[in-house]
Amino acid sequence: MSAAHGSKRPSPSVTVMPSPRSVQISITGACNLKCRYCFYANEMAALPDLPTSEWLRFFEDLGRLGVMDVTLSGGEPFVRRDLFDLIDGLVTNRMRYAILSNGTLIDDTLLNRFETGKRRPRLNYIQVSIDGSRAEIHDRNRPGSFGRALHGLKRLKARGFPVQVRTTISRHNIDDLENIAHLLLEEIGLASFSTNEAAPLGTGCTNRAETALTPADQKKAMAIIDRLLARYPGRLQAQAGPQAKLKAYREMERARQTGEKTADWKMGYLSGCGCVFSRIDVLHDGTIVPCCMLPGLVLGNITRDSLGEIWLDHPTLQMLRERRNIAMSEVEGCRDCEWNEICNGSCPGLAHQLTGNVNRANPEDCYRNFINSVGGLDVLSD
Amino acid sequence: MSQFLRNPDVVLREEDEDGALLFNPDTNQVRVLNATAVFLWHLCDGSKGVGDMAAALKTQFEGVPEKEAEDHVKSFMDDMTANGFIGVAEEEKK
Repeated sequence: MSAAHGSKRPSPSVTVMPSPRSVQISITGACNLKCRYCFYANEMAALPDLPTSEWLRFFEDLGRLGVMDVTLSGGEPFVRRDLFDLIDGLVTNRMRYAILSNGTLIDDTLLNRFETGKRRPRLNYIQVSIDGSRAEIHDRNRPGSFGRALHGLKRLKARGFPVQVRTTISRHNIDDLENIAHLLLEEIGLASFSTNEAAPLGTGCTNRAETALTPADQKKAMAIIDRLLARYPGRLQAQAGPQAKLKAYREMERARQTGEKTADWKMGYLSGCGCVFSRIDVLHDGTIVPCCMLPGLVLGNITRDSLGEIWLDHPTLQMLRERRNIAMSEVEGCRDCEWNEICNGSCPGLAHQLTGNVNRANPEDCYRNFINSVGGLDVLSD
Repeated sequence: MSQFLRNPDVVLREEDEDGALLFNPDTNQVRVLNATAVFLWHLCDGSKGVGDMAAALKTQFEGVPEKEAEDHVKSFMDDMTANGFIGVAEEEKK
């Protein structure tokens, strides 16, 4: 009865939907800022942006594949003069979209352009990065941008746009986290905001000593976030960084004490990321990658390859999907770990970046290392 | 009699052999459809009403009782039209 099922390729150990539900596109390598931890800077930004026509043709492909959501990132998406033509291309092809922005180019003139057609109704959200409660802190990571970013955020909020804020925790702003939460949740009145941490990718790698959190920093950030979560229940979120690690480590401790494994992830297997089952990413030169955190694993290019075929057939994607069937007890570096029956290895992108092997655990999120460095979660309230 | 027409902005994603997702990008609503519902979705071409669809359902699937078929189709169409997945093509008296 379902003709589309005929295009679905069998896989020995994993099943996959016939096309991705969502696609993240770094729509430009250009940016008006030079942030200290930008994962997209250095060699990535030097690649050329694809022209409007290539993206619009690609969006037709995405529409035919039934892709539901596209996230436009960069670089800074708002530096593209044709951005609203591209948004119209997404709308025409029956998709919704989100924009990840530094916020500095957002003003009322720009926001007025969302009021045409279905641009605004189809907008899931605009995410603005805020890394400090004041310029002195924010600008350490994102030089010369605090005032404009805050203005952009306030205009979005005042005009009722769906807005999210991401705070990237680094050594520069740990001590400002409580002020940031106050600014965002109380002064500006956001429902919530999310955090992650400066990753060793792009300039984040070049400036790692300056930006990346040490285990002691991680523990300090966890303690602060723990207090903030008590003060603002449910209003801080994280998929990565200290808050996500705190949650994961607590689950691991609980599983070890009770013998009950969490339903939140596949404990004991290299299952730290499920993105490859529903999402795929495209860089600004058209390079197709499993995830923007895995820019070195090139799957093809939208100017010459079929995204639909790559999604179903590419051996690297299949390998990444089958990664979750690898027991942690078989993973190099984890075989003798006392936590390997309940760990999941965390982000494959950082595992690849830091070890050169995507089928290893991300050492930055290793709980054993954390315990050995700073003594575990003992000083945190629970 | 109401005749049903698919909203051209709605996306049907047939994700496995047992069903599919309907996605309305204008409202961000999603419906999970089983195989029967997918069959009905494909019938919404602007020319068929509840009676036509129930008859087609009985032809396509074995053991569908007549009364329950019409109730099932009507309930499904009520939900689909109320949430913008489907429009009513026209009203005419037979």
